[in-house]
Amino acid sequence: MDSCVKITNEWDIVAARQLGRNVAKDLGFGTVDQARITTAISELARNIYLYAGQGQVCIEKTEAAGKVGLIIISEDQGPGIQDLRKAMEDGFSTSGGLGAGLPGVKRLVDEFTIDSTPGEGTLIRAIKWLR
Amino acid sequence: MRIPILKLHDCLLISIQWELDDQTALQFQEDLLHKIHETSARGVVIDLTSIDFIDSFIAKVLGDVISMSKLMGAKVVITGIQPAVAITLIELGIRLEDVLTALDLEKGLEKLQRELED
Amino acid sequence: MRKLIFDYVQTHKSEILKEWISQMKQDADERAVQTMSAQMFTKTSSEFIELLISNFTETEEEFQSKVVGFAEKIVRLGWPLTIVTLGLRTFSHIVAEGLQREELVGQHNFIEYSFEFERWMFPLYNTIIDTYADTWERTVSLQKIALQELSAPLIPVFEKISVMPLVGTIDTERAKLIMENLLDGVVKHRSEVVLIDITGVPVVDTMVAHHIIQAADAVRLVGAKCMIVGIRPEIAQTIVTLGINLDQVITTSTLKKGIEEALEMTERKIIEVEEER
Repeated sequence: MDSCVKITNEWDIVAARQLGRNVAKDLGFGTVDQARITTAISELARNIYLYAGQGQVCIEKTEAAGKVGLIIISEDQGPGIQDLRKAMEDGFSTSGGLGAGLPGVKRLVDEFTIDSTPGEGTLIRAIKWLR
Repeated sequence: MRIPILKLHDCLLISIQWELDDQTALQFQEDLLHKIHETSARGVVIDLTSIDFIDSFIAKVLGDVISMSKLMGAKVVITGIQPAVAITLIELGIRLEDVLTALDLEKGLEKLQRELED
Repeated sequence: MRKLIFDYVQTHKSEILKEWISQMKQDADERAVQTMSAQMFTKTSSEFIELLISNFTETEEEFQSKVVGFAEKIVRLGWPLTIVTLGLRTFSHIVAEGLQREELVGQHNFIEYSFEFERWMFPLYNTIIDTYADTWERTVSLQKIALQELSAPLIPVFEKISVMPLVGTIDTERAKLIMENLLDGVVKHRSEVVLIDITGVPVVDTMVAHHIIQAADAVRLVGAKCMIVGIRPEIAQTIVTLGINLDQVITTSTLKKGIEEALEMTERKIIEVEEER
């Protein structure tokens, strides 16, 4: 199964969230968690499209300590994030959007890590555990 | 693909039936504003019953279209937001504060009538 | 050597037990000893010593099942883990002292003795602590499930009006569950007004208030109105003192007032009927 979607245009955002929704459904997530996962993927994919131009989003099953979950890995070789702390603040946006992006995604999932180097790119891992 | 906008007396009815991509959402914004202008509609009901997720972009387009409609003299009621959608919106930090809502299309129309009478 | 230790412990069992209890009463955390009667303490203690000895005589599996049984019991009794580890240490001291007093162990074989004793005690330590931890974890996870089952039902009281009584502390996990129940219920019962009754919530801090505001916001999005009722004086005080803004939400002090207001919002009221004779 192809679990990654390359993000190069707006349509890929739709493809990424459709993939996420299917995986979430297969893993047995409820409707609310499906919406959380789909939304998180949409936000991450859109960030890639808006800021990095291209990159990819991978969605996989993950297991740890007897729990099953879904991991979203968003990766790009874009400009990176200049001020991580600021990017994680509510209401901060450099694109004129709602500024709900990254902190919003963090609230939608159970685990969230971000790794970004200016000039090199950004790697985000977000996990939602099956309850 | 364009979202159909129906006219009912002085109201416009829109039922969004499939997942919104960015282009469709922006096209919808434009179409609705033109239609309001064309028909001088005083109220708009947008039904989202079939939508199972809204991200910050779509939420922004929706919020914008509501403010724009208001500027043109039309009140907007959003109906049928699913629990899962409401929860993700709140968790994203999107409150859609001054938006009128109702459980379903029928109640939305009632609410709009009441609002327009006031 | 193993046999020597075993024989000694077996024959001096009651002495060791007596000594152990008296030392434990001295050293152990008062709390643990006081929570149970002297008789219970003696009984449990003797079981503990028996258990230690049975390690010599029984097979691995039998011992394992005994340890599990014992661990479950002490968790239930509320013995802290420190008592158990202290107990094991006290036991080794008593045995070592006794063996030296009887000159069964002296300078010539002390190293051999420590080695053997260590080999006996170490797995015992592990097993007991593991089991204790497992039992404890299981208890906690069971309680967590029990708590979740307790979580907030939405009760339709009149057409278009529902009530959700909240009881107990609200953490993030529970808040999410409550929100889901609340919204699903609103849509299912087609409620126009929902009253969240927080009479049973002991503390409303910034976190809890934040969850309540979020719930109210979400209710508004699906197309209903949300009212917070059951605001006690002390809760009103903390809300204002903490600077929490509940302006966007309708609030009242009692469920009764809330219902009246909700009926008004849905253009109805309760009237008294004069009985016809």
